[in-house]
Amino acid sequence: MRSVNFDVIFGKAAPMILCSLLTLLMPTGVAALEWLDGKVQVHGFAGQGATYTDHNQVFGSSHDVSLDFREMGLTTSVKPLPNLLISAQGLYRDAGGSDTQGVRLDFAQADYSHAFLDSALVIGVRGGRVKLPFGLYNDTRDVLWTRPTVLLPQSIYFDTLALRQGMLSGDGGALYGRYTHGEHRYGLEFLTFETQDNTGGVAAFWTGIPSVKTAAQGNFGGRPAFIGRTFYEWMGGRVKLLFSIVDIERDFHSSNAIYQNGNTKITFPLFSAQYNAEKWSLTAEYGWIDSQRSGYSPSLQNFPTWKQNTSENFYMQGEYRFTPDFSAVLRYDVLHLNREDRDGREMSQMTGGMVAPHRFYARDLTAGVRWEFARNFLLAVDYHYVNGTAWLNEKDNPTLNNPGTSSHFSLFTTMLSFRF
Amino acid sequence: MQRSSSGWFIENAAKVRLIAESSQAFFLVLLSLRRAVVLSAVMLLPAMALQADDSKVRLLGSSNNAKQLTTETIREIFFMRLSTWPDGTPIHVFVLPDNHPLHIRFAKEILGVYPFQLRSAWDRLVFSGTGVSPTTVESEEEMRARIESTPGSIGYTDTISGDH
Repeated sequence: MRSVNFDVIFGKAAPMILCSLLTLLMPTGVAALEWLDGKVQVHGFAGQGATYTDHNQVFGSSHDVSLDFREMGLTTSVKPLPNLLISAQGLYRDAGGSDTQGVRLDFAQADYSHAFLDSALVIGVRGGRVKLPFGLYNDTRDVLWTRPTVLLPQSIYFDTLALRQGMLSGDGGALYGRYTHGEHRYGLEFLTFETQDNTGGVAAFWTGIPSVKTAAQGNFGGRPAFIGRTFYEWMGGRVKLLFSIVDIERDFHSSNAIYQNGNTKITFPLFSAQYNAEKWSLTAEYGWIDSQRSGYSPSLQNFPTWKQNTSENFYMQGEYRFTPDFSAVLRYDVLHLNREDRDGREMSQMTGGMVAPHRFYARDLTAGVRWEFARNFLLAVDYHYVNGTAWLNEKDNPTLNNPGTSSHFSLFTTMLSFRF
Repeated sequence: MQRSSSGWFIENAAKVRLIAESSQAFFLVLLSLRRAVVLSAVMLLPAMALQADDSKVRLLGSSNNAKQLTTETIREIFFMRLSTWPDGTPIHVFVLPDNHPLHIRFAKEILGVYPFQLRSAWDRLVFSGTGVSPTTVESEEEMRARIESTPGSIGYTDTISGDH
């Protein structure tokens, strides 16, 4: 897939161009475009963010307010047959050092479904480049409108780590079924896909070696990855319970003398629960990433947590809707890279003190507001008070591992978004 | 100049009582004003008052398809999870804007959900490519006109205006 860096084309003017485009569109109140009785639909969104941190950096040089955070997408859906849906989304995203991929094909898929048992049961199949169904937010996390805050809970939905690109979509196929019985709905999705090993920093995560770039040093192979997600819903979504699991195994074939062949196994189970009342919603997700690695380099064999590690990832979130257009959110989000070493002390000792303990955890208290100030225009602002730097990325923070780096930081992030 | 704490308390308690009494009087005036407004509205516009009491949200379909649907099926249709009627013809869903009073009532009274849940479900379908959104129309008149002219379509109305 070819990437285009829009910054090269528009330079620093990109945020201004986007903002003026948003302002121009404002009075028109554009709705989704439709043709042929809704058989063809075009939707889109465009958001410009601003980020400020007092210590450390998120999405560019946020000490001085970074505008290096943009997301734009154009989605087309076509229904050539009543049960057949073909859809594709082109996405342009830019987020400091953590996402410089520019334009990408987010998904391009065909979906065929059929209803049985008086429409109570629907079974379907989907294939192509598909979004990865994981947890409550992964499927549509690039669209501010479907996120509760500008920055999702980073313990589960990594945004600053380059691994994120590999979590969004993959080439593969899915089978799904949904069954409705009275006030109860059940569903199951099963997806098998090829991981995007050369996207973002995925290779670094597979190998556990931050500096690795696979294209020059070898390639990954092995069986396709699996994702399963099952849900239960009561009263049209008043209560939602989900369980998702990702299972990945990659074999590394080295093409140079620095690295040996290697193998990585990753399992990520995630439990999700949500209660939706008229004025408020409560949400929680809890999961852990289990990783096992072998090979790659003899020097790494001395690090027990490189070979086998289990993390702990969870958050609790409350939302309150003052009016349909204005809501507030409060959340506590926790990431422990090793669940047996929550304060990171042992992990730090393992590196001989070269990596500070705060690199192994992050606890984030977030308060945010969302305001749909005009139809199809949304402004979201969040404040995060973060203890720990586990989810910060080293491209935006070159001195992150230094002992002098601040373990606590405040983060303000805001985004203005338009959609149609 | 120093005051004893009990003196301070008495003085302030008196102030609080005064505020409470005056605000009570203010609310009483407001209340009677509201009554007057409501009364005059009822006397002046009896037809409209009657309509507001009796109107009932109901489904509006372009064919017999919309009749005899279970609540579950109606919900599946408006959450955009069913694409065809049992006879295989495509379903076309029309809705009013999220903040339209009739849309809010339809969501709550017929579907038993809140408008934000519908919006969230549609956004997820559209931006994950796994579904399409319903067609938003701007008024009840447009809703009726579009449903009449679109085979296999479904929407909603309230009984009295729907009977015109």
